[in-house]
Amino acid sequence: MTHRPANARRAAAILAVAWGALWHFTPATAADAEAGRKKAGGCVACHGPNGNSTNPAVPSLAAQPGQFIVTQLFMFRDGKRKDPQMSPVAANLTNADLDDLAAYFSAQRPTVAGGKPPADRMAAGRELAQRHNCTACHGPQLAGQQHIPRLAGQQAEYLRTQLRGFKASTRFDMDGVMTSAAQPLSSADIDALADYLAGLD
Amino acid sequence: MFTSIFARRPHSRLPHTGRLAALLTALCAPVAAAQQPAASAAPPSWQQGKGAEHASSTLHPFAPHLTGRPASELPIDKLKVPAGFKVEVWADGVPEARSLTLGDKGTVFAGNRNLSNVYAIVDRGGRREVKTMLKGMSAPNGVLFHQGALYVAERGRILRYDGIEDRLDNPPEPKVVVDNLDPSKQPGHFWKFLALGPDGKLYFNIGSPQNITMPTYMQAAILRVDPKTGKLEDYALGVRNTVGMAFHPVTKQLWFTEHGRDWLGDDLPSDELNVAAERGQHFGFPYCHQGDTPDPEYGKYRSCAEFTPPVLKLGAHVAPLGMRFYTGTMFPAEYRNNLFIAQHGSWNRTTKQGYNVIRVSIDAKGNATSRPFLEGFLIDEKGDPPMWGRPVDVLVMKDGALLVSDDYNGIVYRISYGK
Repeated sequence: MTHRPANARRAAAILAVAWGALWHFTPATAADAEAGRKKAGGCVACHGPNGNSTNPAVPSLAAQPGQFIVTQLFMFRDGKRKDPQMSPVAANLTNADLDDLAAYFSAQRPTVAGGKPPADRMAAGRELAQRHNCTACHGPQLAGQQHIPRLAGQQAEYLRTQLRGFKASTRFDMDGVMTSAAQPLSSADIDALADYLAGLD
Repeated sequence: MFTSIFARRPHSRLPHTGRLAALLTALCAPVAAAQQPAASAAPPSWQQGKGAEHASSTLHPFAPHLTGRPASELPIDKLKVPAGFKVEVWADGVPEARSLTLGDKGTVFAGNRNLSNVYAIVDRGGRREVKTMLKGMSAPNGVLFHQGALYVAERGRILRYDGIEDRLDNPPEPKVVVDNLDPSKQPGHFWKFLALGPDGKLYFNIGSPQNITMPTYMQAAILRVDPKTGKLEDYALGVRNTVGMAFHPVTKQLWFTEHGRDWLGDDLPSDELNVAAERGQHFGFPYCHQGDTPDPEYGKYRSCAEFTPPVLKLGAHVAPLGMRFYTGTMFPAEYRNNLFIAQHGSWNRTTKQGYNVIRVSIDAKGNATSRPFLEGFLIDEKGDPPMWGRPVDVLVMKDGALLVSDDYNGIVYRISYGK
């Protein structure tokens, strides 16, 4: 045997290893809620047990649509949505992590974050939600759908911060819908909407 | 250099015309939003032109699953093709797979619109390997392989990667074919489709900035650039947005799909299949839709008779995207030179339609007839979402099989005949 074929075989073996490291095979993996539960240990420290937040500034994730969770984590990872806590956390997540976490949190039962506001406060918020067509996208129960978030039972302070950010055009917005929708809202409107949404089951 | 066709007399093959297009899918302008976080508070492109009567409408574009979905979780068995044909999953794990192009050595390249990747997919002994070959691009929706190079159309420029199939793991630095195609940096129909003309030039679209507004002179147009010289010309005007173009194998004329405007109701206007028989034709946008319907706002300024009408009305809001003439030999002889068109599906319609691949045959007089070819993505025409997958582009492979991309799931399907 000459050196040449041996070298060629070795080169082929090295190539094969390199190839395997650089390419991935289909099929893609399925989302796994149990794997998501195990990966969610760091998340629930802030987002609360089962993703039901007890921190007014931190959103609940329980029962959020899976596609919404994936989309937001994706945007944090891409640097399009920015947050001092979330950006570094999302930076190291894989697509499988996103899918698993979404499968877990979307399957959790939601609880109402705070106390229910008085009836007149709820009525004022409901009127605003109708006038501004919130249900057109967020659904008749404001429970979210697809890439659009659940608002019912969300932390009021978190909702307030997001709406203010949209109004100021500083909050990441995939297509400008919320930035546009928030423009006519007064500060008092934002407060009333946030209280109403937080009080929904 | 930019040569204007306004100096030429607008050509009108037949009375009437219209064109338009729609926005359609999902995440309408995330790229622009990302570039301009403090963009204007005007409604997004897909809501622009929405009348008061639609204020509480629940119709909305659909967003793709950004990580893709595995074929094993999807009702692939619901897909239907005509007798004798077979449809199967060719590759999954290609998040938001959009336009497709085929390399000389068999590599399939797929672009992105909302994401920022270009993928290379290689068939290795019956299994497909997927590589995220280019990352961090700006809406690289247009991909075109030609003479060993991959051309990629981003929002604002067209790039060329030489000798790409020998460097899939280590792509070369690209050469810029043309830049400055996105001066506004605003939301709008500015992702591009790339097609190679018989003249060796690259044809591409710059769409309408909104749903229905007056475009500026480089918008709502098909342009072409000579990759050797960089010379840029406009080719067709009044095209709201085309994301599918192909040159007829015999006549060498440019055929293209076009999206009509939104918020005129469930049945108006029809999306279009058009032919640009020569340079300089105007297809009607924003004045006239589907060749015969003046726009409620802009129609008063011009007459439909001034514009080139569509060859075929495809249906309202069906969202025709990628299209190719069938030049393979695997399918029956009557498929030769027929058109396959991927329809991304309607959102701006209370009863959904589209979400399929249609076959269009063209008779000796140029009359076009369409029929469904791949169906089964649409499962609930009143549902939200109504579908589980969305065709974006089609590609004829060397063996004559037809690939279909699905950006909603990040899947590429293969349709074959016989055997």
